[in-house]
Amino acid sequence: MAIIERPATEPVVAPTPTPAPIVTPSEAFGTFRRPVETTGWRAWVFTVDHKKIGVMYGAAALFFFVVAGLEALLIRAQLAGPEGTVLSADVYNQMFTMHATTMIFLFAIPMAAGLANYLVPLQIGARDVAFPRINAFGFWCFLAGGIVLNLSWFLGGAADGGWFMYQPNASVPFSPTNGVDFWALGLQIAGIASLTGAINLIVTILNMRAPGMSLMRMPVFTWMILVTQFLLVFAIPVITVAFFLLTFQRSFDAAFFSPAAGADPLLWQHLFWIFGHPEVYILVLPSFGIVSEVLPVFSKKPLFGYPFVVFSGIAIGFLGWGVWAHHMFASGLGPVSVAVFATATMAIAVPTGVKIINWTLTMWGGKLRFTTAMLFAMGLVVQFTIGGLSGVTHSVAPSDTQQTDTYYIVAHFHYVLFGGSVLGFFAGFYYWWPKVFGKCLSERLGRWNFWLMIIGMNLTFGPMHILGLQGQPRRMYIWTTERSGEGFFNLGFWNLVSSIGAFILAVGVLFFLTNIVHTHRKGAPAPLDPWDARTLEWITTNPPKEHNFDRVPTVSHLDEFFHRKYEDVGEGDAHDLRAVATAEEVLAAEQAQADAQIHMPSPSYWPIVVAATLPVIALGIIYGVYIVSIVGALLMVFGIFGWAMEPGTAPDSDFDPSPVDDGGPTTELVRSE
Amino acid sequence: MLAVGAIAAVTLTACAEDAPQDTWQPEGENSTRIHNLQWPVFAIAGVVGLLVFLAIVWVVIRYRDRGQPIPKQSHGKPALEIALTILPALILVGVAVPTVGTLMALAETDDTECSVNVYGQQWWWEVEYPEQKGCGGIDREFVTSGQMVIPTGTKVLVSGTSRDVIHSWWIPALNGKKDMVPGRVHTVRTQADEPGIYAGQCTEFCGLSHANMRMEVVALDPGDFETWKANQLKPYAAPEEGSIAAEGESAFISQCARCHVVDGLDDGGVNAPEQFVYSRTAPNLTNLMTRNTFAGATFDLLTDECRERVWEATPEEFGERYLEGVTPECLNEVDLRAWIKNAPAMKPMYTDGTKLGPTDGRSRGMPALGLNDDQADQLVAYLLERN
Repeated sequence: MAIIERPATEPVVAPTPTPAPIVTPSEAFGTFRRPVETTGWRAWVFTVDHKKIGVMYGAAALFFFVVAGLEALLIRAQLAGPEGTVLSADVYNQMFTMHATTMIFLFAIPMAAGLANYLVPLQIGARDVAFPRINAFGFWCFLAGGIVLNLSWFLGGAADGGWFMYQPNASVPFSPTNGVDFWALGLQIAGIASLTGAINLIVTILNMRAPGMSLMRMPVFTWMILVTQFLLVFAIPVITVAFFLLTFQRSFDAAFFSPAAGADPLLWQHLFWIFGHPEVYILVLPSFGIVSEVLPVFSKKPLFGYPFVVFSGIAIGFLGWGVWAHHMFASGLGPVSVAVFATATMAIAVPTGVKIINWTLTMWGGKLRFTTAMLFAMGLVVQFTIGGLSGVTHSVAPSDTQQTDTYYIVAHFHYVLFGGSVLGFFAGFYYWWPKVFGKCLSERLGRWNFWLMIIGMNLTFGPMHILGLQGQPRRMYIWTTERSGEGFFNLGFWNLVSSIGAFILAVGVLFFLTNIVHTHRKGAPAPLDPWDARTLEWITTNPPKEHNFDRVPTVSHLDEFFHRKYEDVGEGDAHDLRAVATAEEVLAAEQAQADAQIHMPSPSYWPIVVAATLPVIALGIIYGVYIVSIVGALLMVFGIFGWAMEPGTAPDSDFDPSPVDDGGPTTELVRSE
Repeated sequence: MLAVGAIAAVTLTACAEDAPQDTWQPEGENSTRIHNLQWPVFAIAGVVGLLVFLAIVWVVIRYRDRGQPIPKQSHGKPALEIALTILPALILVGVAVPTVGTLMALAETDDTECSVNVYGQQWWWEVEYPEQKGCGGIDREFVTSGQMVIPTGTKVLVSGTSRDVIHSWWIPALNGKKDMVPGRVHTVRTQADEPGIYAGQCTEFCGLSHANMRMEVVALDPGDFETWKANQLKPYAAPEEGSIAAEGESAFISQCARCHVVDGLDDGGVNAPEQFVYSRTAPNLTNLMTRNTFAGATFDLLTDECRERVWEATPEEFGERYLEGVTPECLNEVDLRAWIKNAPAMKPMYTDGTKLGPTDGRSRGMPALGLNDDQADQLVAYLLERN
């Protein structure tokens, strides 16, 4: 914005919200003015503020988490007993396809994107991301993609080929509804969000760190986000190509995967998994970053072996590219390829193991406070370890040919993704909620939430190890008593336990949703530094002002905030840490030296306009009404034109007149000089 | 949990009452190799998991906040870190070496003595015995479906492909799974030590009725295998004139023969499954009653009692009982009649004429034939003689 936020030089007074009447723009052509609203829905829809975008990412992702969770409950209801009748075969196939697709592409990726969006600039002492409008564009692309994907439920049926969408089963003769088309194009659109977001965050992290914050003083969460964004930059183009091939195969009769035309359907598998395996690390590394923040705070110790954790994250990022074919051990690659991928898969267990060891040693010798955030972080360490170890068992390729495509694999990746990603996200929710919303989530409800989720997930996914080793394949809409055995390991009992577990898990999530509502209705404002935190995002107000920091902090330590609060007064080898400043004092010191002028980017109409044209193009292709696609494309060109032509900042006359300078509230807007 | 699971699995797999697709009860050379590799890995994983778990429990008990002073702000001990990096790496090298060895051994195909081909198709398997010197000598190629019969103690090379989408051949007691991909031929070794019936299931998601695509391998000792083989190759026996089965023969020609083959039956040249079935073939019914399952091995041709007699037989009894086939007393007539009258009601298939545009009107699976009770009686009587 051309707006300059004027930081307070006095101690902060509670801001008085002043409704901002909109001033008619003085520029002649309204299309090319920039919006200036700071309240109401326009403030969200046209925002380019990384924090608002982060919150919208989080809210949308949480919505899709609930949707995909309900899909999971239907699946478990169907499988609770033999010959289930809750869902038909057709609907069941759509259900498991959409459960996985939604959880991965519409929950886990965007939730990590939301947390990264909100926190990375704060953690590195920046006032926004490098490309704010592209950031907003990314969010609207994700939402548009999610809507296109889920529209298929109401327009003739969702995709039914499994999230891996193997060819030729997902080609037209075998999947004649439009579900797969909605799937390919919806994810194509959502993929734009990941790609633009990744470039944006990489540039932000590399270029916009506060003075003194060298790479090796960066918080681990930011580090893991950086690694994740590099994975996205290289992985998304691969799946983009695959989706284009699939769309051309289905909509324009291309033959990229048709055996009859001499093509090899394994091509799809390679493309899919070259994306798909790095994708696993894309899903889990952000949560590794979160626990690497949470465990030190609640252990009152720095992360044990910071460089090891950072470099093992980078190592995972590299090795993650060399293991994709372990998803294909049964697909007939030949023993030499299988041997290479099996050993590479074992190798990636080493840096992963390093992280587990470092987290454990971070707690070792600490001063542990078992807040809900800490419980979730510790939950991740334990549950992810189980998933990691079962992963090692199927890196043993001959053994994997017995396990692959059985419930043993379902157990494995749910321990990795639920035990890893999801528990990490929840640790992050409880830890950063006061930062984002200014109120702490209820610890009492949080404990219910944690224990129900942990018990629920172990009851749901634990028995799946047994089911898989007893030979129950995945993706079957029914199982029968003839193949279920009778002894302790019989499929009937453990399927029932698993289904009951799923409902317990759902109650746990319900406690979280209740906690949100409860906190926002009745929660008291959070203290400035509720957890005695260590990193830069806590050096500002809760929630942060639009410009994040009144003064960009100067960094001289890893865990800068902690070192401003505590000093080691011990002599020689003796350690005696004393509190030397409270968080309030640290903040006051920063505000005392507030920057006089802060330029923030202005909101913009165009990101949402351009993003909204993409579903139009997609629908035209899906239904073969190409004129619609052409209209959509023209609208998009117009939108990009508008984007390019809009002024760099809103003109002064668009803003409210400057109030009298009385050293008052920090959030009101004044005109630029 | 994994540790407990692994230990429990190791100790309890001896119980015969586990599921028929239990992956921890190897019954042949290949699966035994896999098992000998996998159980130590599971045990190691269990121990490592237990150690991590105990460490966390210890940390929780020992280091909870009891008002102790703020600990030293240590950033780690590089020597310890390096040691704890090398240790898991060494364990994994110990796992990698036997893994690669087993992998190479399982890929070996030069020493196989008998060759059987399988074709995956939505949603059943065709099994083809080509002409060969192996398998005790086969002079004339023949096909069956759903159940693959092999001689015990013989290294069998199963070569497979698919006629439509990717399927996966998996008999857990005998070997790991192998995808059967259209346009490619993949091989997997099979060998059973004892006579018996070994259950399997398609494990690559293959569309609507993936859950209903099963198969079995039946191992017979070499003598019994010869008997079975001779029976498969015996000439067509027309039903006695004037019997219900004879009416069934004409009903078969008018209703079934367009897709299904019965070797030796003069069907007047109507057989052209490629015009009606998208995947080009329907199960060959020449010796239907020698198999004890049908429709992708999803339903039993035997009544529950007779099924149990075969499935629960000891290795000594098994051959004789299996070769009895499906007798009139043992026939599971309920399922067979229901299937003949309205197959898609029993197993989801793609046969609705209004939705077959993309497949040029050809169905994927068996359509409802709309037969009356008399026709069903006649067909059942006819099929009962296909033994």
